[in-house]
Amino acid sequence: MSQNRQYELVYIVSPDASEQAVADLHTQVEQIVQRFNGTLDKTENWGRRKLAYEIGHAREGTYVIETITGSGELMKEIDRRLRVTDTIIRHLTVRVDQDLRVADRLRTERKETQARRRTARGLPPEPLPSERRGDRDDDDSGDMGLEGVEGTR
Amino acid sequence: MSGERGGGRGRGGKKDDKDKAKGDRPRGGFFRRRRVCKFCADKIDYINYKDVRLLAPFIPERGKIQPRRISGTCAKHQRALQTAISRARQLALIPYVTD
Repeated sequence: MSQNRQYELVYIVSPDASEQAVADLHTQVEQIVQRFNGTLDKTENWGRRKLAYEIGHAREGTYVIETITGSGELMKEIDRRLRVTDTIIRHLTVRVDQDLRVADRLRTERKETQARRRTARGLPPEPLPSERRGDRDDDDSGDMGLEGVEGTR
Repeated sequence: MSGERGGGRGRGGKKDDKDKAKGDRPRGGFFRRRRVCKFCADKIDYINYKDVRLLAPFIPERGKIQPRRISGTCAKHQRALQTAISRARQLALIPYVTD
């Protein structure tokens, strides 16, 4: 029943919570993961960040991202626990293994096609740094935004 | 036969001549739109919902998702972009609305 799937869990801790509280929450999650024989692959703490909109009365929050491998039941339990925890103002679980696998496959396929075509043309399979096609004027992406995000009004 | 295609940047260049638009487009020449899917061009396989800087160009002032006809994103990536944006919204990384 319990296949190993990889999940990404993001939760936002209320700004009133102390750093100790954040650490406690992390150990709580860790304990649940251990209890269900999962593994906690990675933890990232983004620290305090401004929210794009108010949640409850909070205008900012501490973002914590955990990458977990385990079963669906494990995530269900975590979800339940986070839901009843008052200091957590928002959380989101996303299953990522499938998407990452697809991305990985696309990447290797592209590499292989490139290598095949290049060897067919009698070139070494990997492009040399010198033959980068004078990389395009690509960076006009900046003119379309970045403003809309931070300044909420 | 070394088959030099004009300018050497196969797809992008060719497409630009084809939809010779600019003039056709309402209010032409506002932005010079590059009508290539950003994710195809930059070979981004996984649209990460936590990467605000990646998503930001597709969310204009108002906070709505930019339609494909304007951003030039391909259908496949627009779908992936949709889910990424709605996840980012849930996490308050991106606003639902701004007015």
